[in-house]
Amino acid sequence: MGVQVHIHRTHRVSTDGKEVVQAEGSCVGECLEHLVKQYPGMKEVLFDQKGNLRNIIEIYLNHESAYPDELKKTVNDGDEIHLTFMLAGG
Amino acid sequence: MAFLTAHEMERYDRQIRIAEIGKRGQEKLKNARVFIAGAGGLGSPISIYLAAAGVGAIRIVDRERVEASNLNRQILHWNDDIGRAKADSARATLARLNPATRTEAICDTITPENVAQLVAGCDLIVDAMDNLPTRFLLNKTAIEKNIPFFHGAVHGFEGRAMTVIPGKTACLRCMYRGPIPQETFPVIGVATAVIGSIQATEVIKWIAGIGALLENRVMVYDGLAMRFTEFRIQKNPGCDHCADAAEKG
Ligand SMILES: [Zn+2]
Repeated sequence: MGVQVHIHRTHRVSTDGKEVVQAEGSCVGECLEHLVKQYPGMKEVLFDQKGNLRNIIEIYLNHESAYPDELKKTVNDGDEIHLTFMLAGG
Repeated sequence: MAFLTAHEMERYDRQIRIAEIGKRGQEKLKNARVFIAGAGGLGSPISIYLAAAGVGAIRIVDRERVEASNLNRQILHWNDDIGRAKADSARATLARLNPATRTEAICDTITPENVAQLVAGCDLIVDAMDNLPTRFLLNKTAIEKNIPFFHGAVHGFEGRAMTVIPGKTACLRCMYRGPIPQETFPVIGVATAVIGSIQATEVIKWIAGIGALLENRVMVYDGLAMRFTEFRIQKNPGCDHCADAAEKG
């Protein structure tokens, strides 16, 4: 069953246009690893060259901010992860 | 406290009829002093709707001149205004809309050195900027001055808004992980219209003391999916902006 990962519109070029991707894992980090395994383009979207989560990326778990230590947050079957980014425009 | 004139009772009749606003709420709007950082895509609907609603004083700051590429969204400025300082154009538009609103339009860059002076005397700060560093500077200033901060931002057909009450709610900096590279963002005017209107709604509610504010929650709007999604956020006890802020008054 796993978790549903909601992909931001601008990142869907990396997921063949898919808005929601199913992923498996016991924590957010593992789910994102599984996401990257399915859609390798998401690696550069989410992580910098050192493998750290990019500063601009925001992660919400079940509609609640997963900050801080986002990747370590435990997930359960049926959970929802939203990946988005901080907006700056005005 | 300034009371309403007969003309004002007529002008604001339709919103005075809203039970939550009434005469009392309208008087509060008349006595309010609002700081709007930016006279661009967000600053346009924010300032226009706040002036139309009868906010007594608006101080709006923008350092730029009107360019053709602004006109898809910055409805304070029209075609004839290209090349004009946005502050001057904003002042003229708002004066035509509602001469009773005392509009101070300042052509300046908001910096750590002048921000305290720029917002002095205002009851609240509205974030209508186009870059994150200045947004954070305004967030910090609002917390230091213990006045609310109304955040909004857009990208494409999307946008978001949240309201920061110092000492009470999470702030814009609470989820900060480090600097973000700046780039020219895509945006369509209807997105700034939606988000700016949400910010102005929050401002009006806060001034009148009514409704439920966007506290500890960010409202994300996706115009293409035509969907609003709410995310909960928590105050970060280690936040370098708001950790020490205690709720006052
Ligand atoms: Zn904070």
